[in-house]
Amino acid sequence: MGNSNMSIGRYAIYACLMIFAVLYLMPLYVMITTSLKDIEEIRQGNLLSLPAAPTLYAWAKAWGSACTGSECEGLAPFFFNSIRIVVPAVLISTLIGALNGYVLAKWRFRGSEFLFAALLFGCFIPFQVILLPMARLLATFGLANTVTGLVLVHVIYGVAFTTLFFRNFYVSVPTELVKAAQLDGANFFQIFRHIFLPISLPIFTVTIIWQFTQIWNDFLFGVVYSGQGTQPITVALNNLVNTSVGGKEYNVDMAAALIAALPTLVVYVLAGKYFVRGLTAGAVKG
Amino acid sequence: MGSLTISNVTKTFGSTEVLKGINIDIADGEFLILVGPSGCGKSTLMNTIAGLEEVTTGQLLLAGEDVTERSPKDRDIAMVFQSYALYPTMNVARNISFGLEMRGVPKQERDQRVQEVSTLLQINHLLDRKPSQLSGGQRQRVAMGRALARSPRVYLFDEPLSNLDAKLRVEMRTEIKKLHKRLGTTIVYVTHDQIEAMTLADRIAVMKDGVVQQLGTPNEIYDNPANQFVAGFMGSPPMNFVPCEVNSDGSLAIDTSGHSLSLTIPQSSTLKAQNISRVILGLRPEMLTEPKPERAGDSVMALEMDFDVTEPMGADTIAIGEWNGIEILARLSPEAGLRAGKSTPVQVDLSKVVLFDPESGERIR
Repeated sequence: MGNSNMSIGRYAIYACLMIFAVLYLMPLYVMITTSLKDIEEIRQGNLLSLPAAPTLYAWAKAWGSACTGSECEGLAPFFFNSIRIVVPAVLISTLIGALNGYVLAKWRFRGSEFLFAALLFGCFIPFQVILLPMARLLATFGLANTVTGLVLVHVIYGVAFTTLFFRNFYVSVPTELVKAAQLDGANFFQIFRHIFLPISLPIFTVTIIWQFTQIWNDFLFGVVYSGQGTQPITVALNNLVNTSVGGKEYNVDMAAALIAALPTLVVYVLAGKYFVRGLTAGAVKG
Repeated sequence: MGSLTISNVTKTFGSTEVLKGINIDIADGEFLILVGPSGCGKSTLMNTIAGLEEVTTGQLLLAGEDVTERSPKDRDIAMVFQSYALYPTMNVARNISFGLEMRGVPKQERDQRVQEVSTLLQINHLLDRKPSQLSGGQRQRVAMGRALARSPRVYLFDEPLSNLDAKLRVEMRTEIKKLHKRLGTTIVYVTHDQIEAMTLADRIAVMKDGVVQQLGTPNEIYDNPANQFVAGFMGSPPMNFVPCEVNSDGSLAIDTSGHSLSLTIPQSSTLKAQNISRVILGLRPEMLTEPKPERAGDSVMALEMDFDVTEPMGADTIAIGEWNGIEILARLSPEAGLRAGKSTPVQVDLSKVVLFDPESGERIR
């Protein structure tokens, strides 16, 4: 009967895991169910109960007509603001990181190790430290309160991370490949394009997910460097939740938060398996 | 034309001098082997020839043209790497034609060249595979195919066989030799394997500490080494080195298994004339054998030795004895090897002994 003891232990472990899973998923459950209820039901009902008559009213309002401060156009314009900031910022910072990493890994020059160390330092600079100098810089360039300015900030801040990712990935690529390609007559960019890019899918996935998540979820830069009409969705979400016309509409708040969180979730679900694979790519030689 | 002149080439990394003035003239179509222990600078020399590293001082002439400052792609040199360095995402055909593609050769011509090269190397059936789907020997062939495709003036081989197993290595060695015979292109080949060096080379450059110790044909290097390092590096099993006192008549005093011998050698008169008192005797194991009446002559001497250990190698047996307190190897026939032990009769052929200065290791001629 030792077997049954074993299985009791097993059950205990599973039960414990279930409890934690439920605890962790509880907020998401509450958010989703609340976003599908109408405000009457929220006032009267139980926080955990399923919606009696599910409705997309709150989602529609959060998307199209909820008030974020003085305007009442919902999150939609800000969602597209975020897209306009995130897409170029992710692409540019990833491409620069790939080139930087390629140079720092395979085209060492005097001081390149120092440069890499200095660049790494950029990963550890807290956001707050650069707020004022960056504001000054953006003003000088005439980029204050613009989408371009925000893209620039995110690219600068992101390059440290993307360079680190790509450099560490490319370091494990044999240098003899570069030498062989040089003798074959390929130049700096041809080697990058024909030899390095084709093997870079895992690290591109990791970097894009990382950068997308970072920039999409950014609030501080968004609130400081954006102006009217260029605010990203995180700032709008904050404004939406803090603006109350009449009573507090929890269902709209929840729907808005879900809308703001959705893109990063989608990206992770679509590319998640590459993410895990890419993070361990350097560890095991492929 | 693919003659290559390496003239006074030096290379320093920081304060380390890796190449200390290398001078080698390689004739068109010659197979030159750079050999030496690891860290001797042979791979660095190879990289400077390829243009992957810049020389610190000195000159490189390819077919009479100064290419010292040229980038690798403008030197018309192809290289086969130890790790093969095949492009992992390209199939075999593209690996072979990549160099042509980068040089703007039209597609049709490239395809034709791939066909020619792959037929020559018998890899036609592999053209669609990725490098990861190939065995070691196949990768080796593809790497050679990539070098051949461009028909360069000079081929560089950087320890191309060291990642293969012993059997395949011998096969590929023969194949490379055949290929060279067929193409007649200049080859510079780096190895640390002295058998490869002996079997393949027209000439061998033995390097140590960034200096060419000796440059010569395999026979010259083997029979006439410039110094003790070269003598010890080439040959397997290695040459025996026995420190000896020189008797007043110029013969060498040897003490083996309780017998005292005086070896009169061809150099004895020189030793006497120059009044040299101590030398290191260099004797190849194959010069110390069981008595062979047919090889008797002036320079052959019979003696008896004690052998402690024998190592049968198949074709012959290495027996280990002692001269002047130093381990010495004899190369016996398998039959003689079976009988080797206490007081074994042997003969030593002194016609090819070489002598070295005990301090400098330089040859005494």
